[in-house]
Amino acid sequence: MSNKYEITIGIECHVQLKTKTKLFSEVDNDARGKEPNSCVSPVDYALPGMLPRLNGEAVKLAIRAGAAMNAKINPSSRFDRKHYFYPDSPKGYQITQFYHPIVGEGYIELPSGKKIRIEHAHLEGDAGKLTHFDTYSLVDLNRVDTPLLEIVSMPDMSSAEEARDYCKELWRNMTYAGVTYGDLYNGNMRFDVNISLKKPEDTKLGTRAEIKNLNSFRSVERAVLYEYERQSKILDKGEKVKQETRGWSDATGKTTSQRSKEEAQDYRYMPEPDLPPLNLAEDFIKAEYDKCPELPADYRRKFDGIIPADTLEVLLDYAELMLRLAEIHAAGQPVDYVANLFASVLLAEENQSLLNDKLPEANQLTELAEMKAKKELSSTAAKEVFIKLFEPKHASKSPRELAKELNLIQENDSATLEAIVDKVLENPATKKAQEDYKAGQEKVLGFLVGQVMKESHGKANPAAVSEILKNKLK
Amino acid sequence: MEVTEQEINHLAKLSNFTLQPEEKTALKKDLGNIFKYISKLDELNVDGVEPTYQVFEMENIWRPDEITEQDADREALLALTKEETDHQIKVPKVL
Repeated sequence: MSNKYEITIGIECHVQLKTKTKLFSEVDNDARGKEPNSCVSPVDYALPGMLPRLNGEAVKLAIRAGAAMNAKINPSSRFDRKHYFYPDSPKGYQITQFYHPIVGEGYIELPSGKKIRIEHAHLEGDAGKLTHFDTYSLVDLNRVDTPLLEIVSMPDMSSAEEARDYCKELWRNMTYAGVTYGDLYNGNMRFDVNISLKKPEDTKLGTRAEIKNLNSFRSVERAVLYEYERQSKILDKGEKVKQETRGWSDATGKTTSQRSKEEAQDYRYMPEPDLPPLNLAEDFIKAEYDKCPELPADYRRKFDGIIPADTLEVLLDYAELMLRLAEIHAAGQPVDYVANLFASVLLAEENQSLLNDKLPEANQLTELAEMKAKKELSSTAAKEVFIKLFEPKHASKSPRELAKELNLIQENDSATLEAIVDKVLENPATKKAQEDYKAGQEKVLGFLVGQVMKESHGKANPAAVSEILKNKLK
Repeated sequence: MEVTEQEINHLAKLSNFTLQPEEKTALKKDLGNIFKYISKLDELNVDGVEPTYQVFEMENIWRPDEITEQDADREALLALTKEETDHQIKVPKVL
């Protein structure tokens, strides 16, 4: 990006809440792998006389999500109808919270420390899914009124990286709070990115384009970079950017015009008469708010100077790993070695399938770290024990028990080691090496250490053996 | 209150209706009468009056998050639509 124009970015994100049932009807909310229209009730069909009934769990999750964006919860909120005519909505309107949303102002703290303000967040029902064919379209209503929390940011982002970081941090915070499955591939979080450009000296923001339905952090970043180029070319020519909705294609790396944005009043918002308002008691809100656990920003402060920042950023994508580290830290035990095992062993490509297994307990990991620190386990042996702890048949064992079973405990006892060293030195096959070493060829020491290791069946501590050999060959 | 032809056309577009000229004339008259009737409310001073969202004064009505058996199954619901294909509702091409 050049510096000719300043870019201003605001993001709306639809988060699918992980309730068992839909927002307004008692049918299964999880339609993954299910047949079209199999998770649908007469309410979703909007048959005459059908009335929506609010799902209490969605209200609770919205409060917890509010806590995960440091937001104030509005005790009073209501629902409204947003009218539009399209086959994905049998009702002819979407039930949303236009005038009185449940979540008020808040913020998301980026890894850089910058705070992106949240304008508000509101509950609403999703629309159905359309599949288009040559001469007709097919409608699947399974997704109708799946509960969504729409989170609206202020236009506080000013680069593609910041837009990506915001989306990722929002995803982390929502998954830490446990309000969504956060499965991006299946559209559990969808981002609409508003982008406008202006000259640095202009005080007014430029006309914005909205890029709809991005479902990965990478596409958010790429779409912003593309829009910067597209809009700056228009402005360079002295023309005006059109306010419109655009779609993004990962395949072509381009955004394309979808439709001119309908005027807000065309939605003919009106209060939803079928749903009584919410007037939530302070203790009810507090009980849900307090269920929000520690967030990535909290962990950055907690582990500052303890876990290297780049390792920590990798681990922060995994709430479960951070919880375990926090548990070890709370018990007053060191976390650096365990963090290193997580980042370099568990998250190595060949071991990532272990993430599906049960994570070893805090006390197991602490014991493993202690054994490594006391040199009872070599670095390689410690990694082996760590990986084996994920196997169901070993999962309940202590690392010491498991290391003994696998014959991996390192021999550190100096008397034992000296006896082995003596045995090796007495072997005529090593005489030449001993003479070479004494004559100043220090590299030969490696060969001798190797012989001792072999004699000890790999259990001797090589550093200790090396010291003993040096003394004996003086 | 006068409803313009333009407003009728706009409403028809939002609702995806195709209206014949005589229907437009009739709607113009009917809607005009409805607006006139409702605009009586403009005579009242409603400064500081909360809009009426509902008349029963209920609040915090919600249900537990439990799946219940529906009394209408998929086939019964699909049978209500004009046309279906592969368990989906078939509609004229949109967009």
